[in-house]
Formats: sequence, structure tokens, C-alpha cells
Amino acid sequence: MPCSDSTARTIKACGDDLLSIRTGSAKDAQAFAEQLRAAGEWQEVVAGIESVVVQFDATLITIDEARQQIAAELAKGYTPKALPDVLLEIPVVYGGEFGPDFDAVCEQTGLSAEELIALHTGREYDVELVGFTPGFVYVGGLAAVLRIPRRKQPRQRVAAGSVGIADGRTGLYALAGPGGWPIIGRTTFTLFDPQAKDPFPVRVGMRIRFIAVSAAEAGL
Amino acid sequence: MSVEVLAPGLQTTIQAGARVGMRHLGVPASGAADPLSLALANRLLGNDLLAPALEVTLVGPTLRFNAPTAIALTGGVAQATLGGEPIEFHSTIIAKQGDELAIAAVEIGTRVYVAFAGGLQAQEMLGSCSTYMAAGFGGHQGRALVEGDVLQLQKQNTNTDVARTPQEYRLAFSSTWALRICRSAESDLLQDEQLGELTNTNWIIGRRADRMGMQLDGPMISVSSDGRMPSAPVFPGTIQCPGNGSPFILSVDAGTTGGYPRIAQLARADRHLLGQLRSGDHVRFLPRRPQEAIDALHAKHNYWREWLPGIERVI
Repeated sequence: MPCSDSTARTIKACGDDLLSIRTGSAKDAQAFAEQLRAAGEWQEVVAGIESVVVQFDATLITIDEARQQIAAELAKGYTPKALPDVLLEIPVVYGGEFGPDFDAVCEQTGLSAEELIALHTGREYDVELVGFTPGFVYVGGLAAVLRIPRRKQPRQRVAAGSVGIADGRTGLYALAGPGGWPIIGRTTFTLFDPQAKDPFPVRVGMRIRFIAVSAAEAGL
Repeated sequence: MSVEVLAPGLQTTIQAGARVGMRHLGVPASGAADPLSLALANRLLGNDLLAPALEVTLVGPTLRFNAPTAIALTGGVAQATLGGEPIEFHSTIIAKQGDELAIAAVEIGTRVYVAFAGGLQAQEMLGSCSTYMAAGFGGHQGRALVEGDVLQLQKQNTNTDVARTPQEYRLAFSSTWALRICRSAESDLLQDEQLGELTNTNWIIGRRADRMGMQLDGPMISVSSDGRMPSAPVFPGTIQCPGNGSPFILSVDAGTTGGYPRIAQLARADRHLLGQLRSGDHVRFLPRRPQEAIDALHAKHNYWREWLPGIERVI
């Protein structure tokens, strides 16, 4: 069965065993990803900010069958599930050695250090996505003036707990590793604990407030 | 029944199968970077093809056996000795109690696999025994081996028949690779000319090359969005291009989402080769439509199935 033009625009191959579905909002991406995970025997169903990518086992189904199954799920429509009503307070040490790009971000945005911190701590945000590495958290809803791009050259290593901002979001690095977001601070909040019963304490839909603390208060 | 690490080598980890179905939680695949070589080593010992074994990187370790053990070596080209005597790859080898196994520098390719009859004991985490170093879990304490580590075998098994990999199943390694790629989600951001550059260039694997990914040195590829996009899912074999125009290819330990345009995707049939690409190697990318790439996968499975039943779980 050939796909209609609109389905073809929405579902797009991004490899020989990968199909990308454009959903629009992060909430829609999460909702559709949940529905696909519940519905099918996919190897992976991963949500991004505006899309979902499905990895299928090409030894079991053809790419056309995979596309048709996804189209059928899309046709059913999807509704965001109820989100956890949790507000997390995340302590952040801003600037200095813990925020190597803090001064550059001030310069880029024309904000003073105090203004940048006041702006970043001054509102509640939503967790839009978890991913990248275990415990990495994408927090949406950054003030417009803070919408700066990623670094043109990613860093080979950012410290665990680094707090970065890029493209209108705050990113929390649970682990040390490569990273492309300008880093403005660091948190000691546990974002991933492999020994815990639930290794992933931060979930999509939780609300976040950042609290400015000193290095001494954070124990850094 | 144990194996003692006298010298760890550059980066020796326990690897087995990949973690599957956890990427939405930010958990990467991990697992052997060259799972086909892992399977070939385990095959010679009658193990499950993805039983936990050692993955050796560029410089090999020295190990001492505290009891008789059957082992097998596969993967990149390196010299190895057991009790001072040269041993060959692709053959079941019986190590005696007290024997020392020494693996020298890998000369061609990047990774050598050392499998043990019965398989190594390893920490299972999130569905696999493979080491994921960035988060410090799996394998042996979530890290590369260090001097003095003692590894345990799952069970003692010295009754293994001696087997040898048939010649036609011994992978030939070189420093030049041809890898099949398909278009990815942001390939449209490239002008035709840029897309042509991707497939007409003799790319060189850059100095930054590890289990996370590898830099591709060559011409600058300019992406029309200036390398900006909302974070989106990425996979082993995804080729991304940041704003500086210097593309990189992700490997088995890479993160699950990324914010740089995905300009191409390595075909599943050739992803097992990621683990053998080495800084300085030359790479050509062959453009394929998805169905052509899947046909190549089926052909590879058909070729390997006789020696490695269950090959579909491996590559």
C-alpha cells in the first residue's frame, strides 16, 4: 500500500533500519513514543524534541511494513499521558571554574552576571526529554534572551553535573563526557544512580526550579 | 577459576551484546564495537556468540591463568604469545595453569577479542554485561581493566574441542574501508554538491577516535542550518556535522540524542566495522537506498549463517 503524500512527509527513512516521525512539540513526541512502545515490537523508540525515531529489525519486517505500522498508529491519534506532579529544586553553582562559558554567555546576551542568574533561577521549567546519556535532562522554557546556539565545536569533555544552555533549553549533564552546550554552572543534584532501585530520578513532565548556591553550599 | 591482569593494555574492557530497548532512557548500546569478531572468538569455544569476553584496544594486555583454560583470539592483526610461544588467531588454544598470555600492539584494525571457554563473569546492568565506561557500569566494575584485577570465569570448561575458523570466515583487515551509507533525517540540508563531497571524498579517520565516535578528516561540509537543530535521536553509525563543517561518525557508546544535523547513516550491514576503524585509516562512503542496504544485510547474514548460526543477533 503506497503512503499518502502527507504520511510520506511525516515518516521519513533516516537509515536502512530507522524511520523518523515528525511530531511537532516535545509533548507530542513523548506521547507518540509511549504509544509506539506499547504497541509494537520495535528495537528502539526514541523521542527527540520534535520527532520520534523508530529502529526496527530488518530481518523481521521490511521498511515498508514498518512504515505502514507507524502510519496506522499515527492515524489512531495520540494523547499525552498524565505527567508526574513533582517540583524538583536543582542547586546550581553559576560561573567561575564550574561554568566555563558563563562570561561568554553574559557577553553574548548583554546580561550582567546577576541578571543572567536571576533570569535562569526566576521561573519554573518543564523536563521535556531525558536522553543523550543516562540521566541527561533537557529542561524547556528558557527566557528568549538566553536562546543562544550550541558551540560550533563540541567539547571533548564536560564535567559531570554541568549545566548548559542552548537553543532555548537547559541541559543537565549527569555524566562527564563530550558535550556541545555552553556551560554556565554545575549542580550536585544526583541525576543518575545506577545503584538505586530507580536509576533515573528525573522524568519527563517533572517541573524544575534552579536555585543559585555557592560552591561551599554545594559541597564542590 | 580465574585470570589475573598483569598489565592492562591501553583500554581493555569486558564486552558482550549491546543494550537494546533502553535508548529512550539515554542508555547507549555499548557492547563489542566489532561484534562479528566477538562472535567468531566465542564460536571457537562453544560459547553463546555474545558471551562476555575481553575487548582489547590498540595495545594488548598481559594475563596469567590460574587454572587450565581454553581461549580464542580474533579481530585486528596483532602478535600474541602464550607461555612465550607465538599463538595464532582463529584457533582454540589451551592455556595451562600459570601460563601468561601477552598481546602486543594491534598493527592493523583497532580491536582484538579474547574469549574464554564458559565466558567471563561480568556485572549485568540494564540488560547486558557490557562495560559502559562513561557511566561506570557493566563488565568489570564499569571500567577498563587495571593491573592486579582478577577476572572470574562463569564456569570451568576445559573439555572444549579444538576448533579453527575456516579460511573463508577469517576477516581480512586493511587500512582502507568502503562503508555503505543511507540518507538520514537532515541529508536534505546538504546541497547536492556537498552530498557528493561526502561520497566522493577519501575520508581519513581523525585523531579523536574511540568507542563514542570518530572524527572524519577531509573537506569542510557546510550545512545550511549552520549546524543548528533541536536535539533528535542518533544511533551507532549516525554521521553528524556540526557548524564547524567537520563531520563525525558515532560508535557504540555514543549518546542517544544529538543536536547536530544527521547527514548520513551507516547501513546496519556495515556497522560491525565501526570497531576496527583506526586513526589514519581511509574511508569511502558508498551511497545506498535503504532497500539496497537491507539486501546487503541479508546477503551478509546468508554468507555467515553456516559458521555462525544466530548471526542475526550479532550484526
